[in-house]
Amino acid sequence: MDSPTICTENLTRRFGDLVAVEDVNLRVAPGQFFGFLGPNGAGKSTTIKMLTGLLAPTSGRIQILGLDLVTNMVEVKRQIGVVPEGMALFGRLTGSEYLNFVGRMYGLDRETAAKRTAELLAFMQLTDQPKALVTDYSHGMQKKLALAAAVIHGPKVLFLDEPFEGVDAIAAGTLKAMLQRMIGRGATVFLTSHVLEIVERLCTHVGIIHRGRLVAQGSVEELRAGVEARAADLPMAAGGRAGEKLTLEQIFLLTVGGSRSDGQELSWLG
Amino acid sequence: MIPDRQTPAPQARQQLAVVAGLRWRVFVNSLRTFRGRLELASRIFVSLAFLAGGIGGAIGLGGAAWFLILQGNEEWLGALLWPVFLFWQLFPLMATAFTQNVESSNLLRFPLSYRSYFLIRLAYGSLDPATAVASLWLLGIDIGIGVARPSVLPWATIVLLTFALVNIVLARMLFAWLERWLAQRRTREILGILFFLFILSFQLIGPLIAVYEHRSIPETRILGQKVSNAQRPLPPGLAAAAIAGIIQGQPGTSVVPFVLLVSYGIAFLWLLNFRLRAEYCGESFSESAGRKAPPSGLPAPRPGWNLPGVPGPVVAVFEKELRYLSRSGPMLFTLIVPLFMLAVFRSSDKNEGLLARVPELTFPLGAAYSLLLLTNLSYNNFGADGSGTQFFFASPARFRQIVMGKNLAHAAVFALEAGLVWLGTCLLYRLPSLGVTMATLAGILFVLPIDLAAGNLFSIYSPTRVEAGVFGRQRASLTTVLASFGIRGTLFVAGALMLWLSRTYENSWVELLILWLPAAFAFAVYAFALDRVDGIALGHRENLISNLGRRE
Repeated sequence: MDSPTICTENLTRRFGDLVAVEDVNLRVAPGQFFGFLGPNGAGKSTTIKMLTGLLAPTSGRIQILGLDLVTNMVEVKRQIGVVPEGMALFGRLTGSEYLNFVGRMYGLDRETAAKRTAELLAFMQLTDQPKALVTDYSHGMQKKLALAAAVIHGPKVLFLDEPFEGVDAIAAGTLKAMLQRMIGRGATVFLTSHVLEIVERLCTHVGIIHRGRLVAQGSVEELRAGVEARAADLPMAAGGRAGEKLTLEQIFLLTVGGSRSDGQELSWLG
Repeated sequence: MIPDRQTPAPQARQQLAVVAGLRWRVFVNSLRTFRGRLELASRIFVSLAFLAGGIGGAIGLGGAAWFLILQGNEEWLGALLWPVFLFWQLFPLMATAFTQNVESSNLLRFPLSYRSYFLIRLAYGSLDPATAVASLWLLGIDIGIGVARPSVLPWATIVLLTFALVNIVLARMLFAWLERWLAQRRTREILGILFFLFILSFQLIGPLIAVYEHRSIPETRILGQKVSNAQRPLPPGLAAAAIAGIIQGQPGTSVVPFVLLVSYGIAFLWLLNFRLRAEYCGESFSESAGRKAPPSGLPAPRPGWNLPGVPGPVVAVFEKELRYLSRSGPMLFTLIVPLFMLAVFRSSDKNEGLLARVPELTFPLGAAYSLLLLTNLSYNNFGADGSGTQFFFASPARFRQIVMGKNLAHAAVFALEAGLVWLGTCLLYRLPSLGVTMATLAGILFVLPIDLAAGNLFSIYSPTRVEAGVFGRQRASLTTVLASFGIRGTLFVAGALMLWLSRTYENSWVELLILWLPAAFAFAVYAFALDRVDGIALGHRENLISNLGRRE
C-alpha cells in the first residue's frame, strides 16, 4: 500500500462520559473512493469532523497527505475539500457569490475564482436563477452548490458527509459524475452515506464503524471474503439466497450485528 | 391489499387534550437542561410581574370606572377600554416578534378535522399573558361599574365579555394573517420594516405634544372632540357606548353599539376562518427556487472585489459581510435610525434642548449613538453566518483574517454612518467646527478598535444565531449586551475625559498628543487581541459551530 492519504492512529473522541469514537485506525490510500459506513450514532460524523479539523480529538493522531493535522492545519486544509454536515453554506449570497467567496478564501485569485465559479455553476446545472439567494435554493441545489464549493480549489482529498441525503436521482447523477471525474484525476474521496447501493456502486473501499469502533475496513471484496469466511450459511442469515454474492447491505448488516426482524409482526398492520 | 383495520375517527376533544399533553411534555422536557430551568425561573419571575400588573391595573381601572360613573362621566369609559384594547392587540405582536410559527403546519400532518384545527388555533393561541392581564383589567372595570351601579352589572358583564371575545378573535386573526405574510422572506422583511417604523413613530409623540401644548384650550378641545368621534365606531368605543347607554337609562341607544360590536366579532371570525381554512387546505409558500427557463446569454460571474494591499481572504469576508448587510432589512434600517433620531431631537428641541444649546455636541453624540447600534453586528460577529461558520474552520484562511474582514466591514458601515451623522448635523444644526470634528475622529479611533477587539472575543465566547432578514428576538445574548454597554460606557467616559483634558490645555501640540496617543494605544490593543484570536477560536470551535448551527 502507498503512503496513505488519510491515516489515523488510535483516534478517540469523548463527550463527557460518552465515547463517540474510540481507537480508530483508518488507512485510506491515494486515489481510493472510500465509503465510511455505520448505523445512526456510530461516530461517522464525529470522525469526519475530526479529520477535517472541525472537532478536536480527545486523543490519537491524524495524518492527511502525510501531514500531521494538528501541526499543519492550514496546509492540510488548503489541500482538502469538505462538505460537512449541514453543508455550511451562506444563505444570503447568490450561488455565484458564494463560490467566488469560497474560491477567494482558498487563496484563488479573483479571475480564477470567477472562471471556476462559472464552470462549476454550469456543470452543476445551477445557472437557471443567477440572482436567487442560496437560502431560496431547493435542498438538492444546495447539495450541488456545497459540492461545487468543496472542489473549487482542486483539492487532493474530498470529505463528504452524507452527500446524497435528500438529493433526487438527477442531482445524485450529477454529483456522482463529478466525484468519478475527481477520482479519475487521482483525488481521494472519503464519504459517509446511508445509501448503501450508492456506496457499493461508487466506492472501491469501505470502512465500517459501530459504536465508535472501526469494525471493518478494506475493499468491498476483502470485506465480503472476510464475512463469508466466518460462516458458510451467512447469506441465508442476512436475507440472501445461498450461492449468491453478498451485497454491501448484507455485509454491513452482518458486520454490525443488525438483522431484519422478519419474524416480528406489528399486529395492527396485518 | 391492506385489511380495513383503521382506527376510529379522532374526536376534537381528544385532539385538544393531546395537544395540551404535548405542550406539557415539551415544558417538562425543557427542564432537563440548565438553560430550561433558568428559563422557568425567569418565566415565574415574569409571570409574577404580569400578575402584579394585572391586579394593579384591575384595581386602577376598576377605581377609575367607579369614579367616572359616580361623576356621571360614563361616556368616558372608552378612555379605559382603549388601553386594554391596545395592550391586548399590540403586546403579543411586540413580545413574540417576527418569527416563523411552525406549530400549525406540524399539526396539519395529523387527521385533524377543520373544526379541531380551528379550535386548537383559537384556544391555545389565546393562552398568552396579554389575554390573562387584559381579562383581569376588564374584570376590574366590570367590578368598578358594578360597585357604582349594581343594576347595570349584568349588562356590563355581557358587553365586556363580548368585548373580550372580540379581542381574542381579533388577536388570533391578526396573528394568522401575520404568519401568512411572515411565511415568505420578502414580505417578512417588508413587514418587519413597517413594524419598526411603527415603533419609531412613538418617538414622534413627544414632538406632537410639544406642538399641541402651546395651542389654546378651545383648539385642543376641538381636537379631543375629533378623536372622540373617530374612536366611537371602533370596538372600545362601541363597548363603552353600549354600557353608557344603559347607565343613562336609554337602553335603546345601547343596542346598536352592542350589535355593531358583535358584528365586529363576526367579521374578525370570518377573516380568521378564511385564513385558517386556506392553511388547512394546504396552501404553500415554499421559497425554494423553482425551475425556470434559463435566461439566454447568461453573463459570466463577475470577479470578487479587490482592495489593493489587503489579502484575498480578508477581502472575500469583507465583501460577503457587506453583501449580507445590504440584503438585511433590519441592518439597513439601523443605518437610518441615528438620522431619524437627530431629526426627532431637532423638531422637539427647538431652542431649549441640550443639542440646541450646545450644537457642538451633536456630532460626537450622534457618532457614539451610531456605535451603539452596531452592537448586534460587532458583538455577535458570526450570528448571521449560522451553519456557515463551519466553513471558516474548514477553510485554510486564518481566523484572524476572517475576523479582520468582518471588522473591516463593520468599520466601513460605521464610517458611513458617522459620515451621515456629520451630514445630518450640518443640515439640521450647523457645521461642526474642525476642532470638534478632529476630536470626534480621534475619539472614534480610540473607541472603535477596542470595541471591535472586545466584540471579537464576545462573538467567540458567547455566539447567538440570528436570522439576517428577521426582526425581533434577534439580539446577542443578554450577557454580551450588558458587557458591551459596560465596555462602551467606560470607553465613552475615557473619551470624554480626554476631550476635556485636551480643551484644558491651550497648547495645540499637547492637545494633539492627548487626543491621538490613546488612538495609537487602542490600535495596539486591537493588534494584541487579533494576534490571539486564532488560538481562542480554535479552542472554542465546537461551541461556535454547535451554537450557530442549531435552529431553535
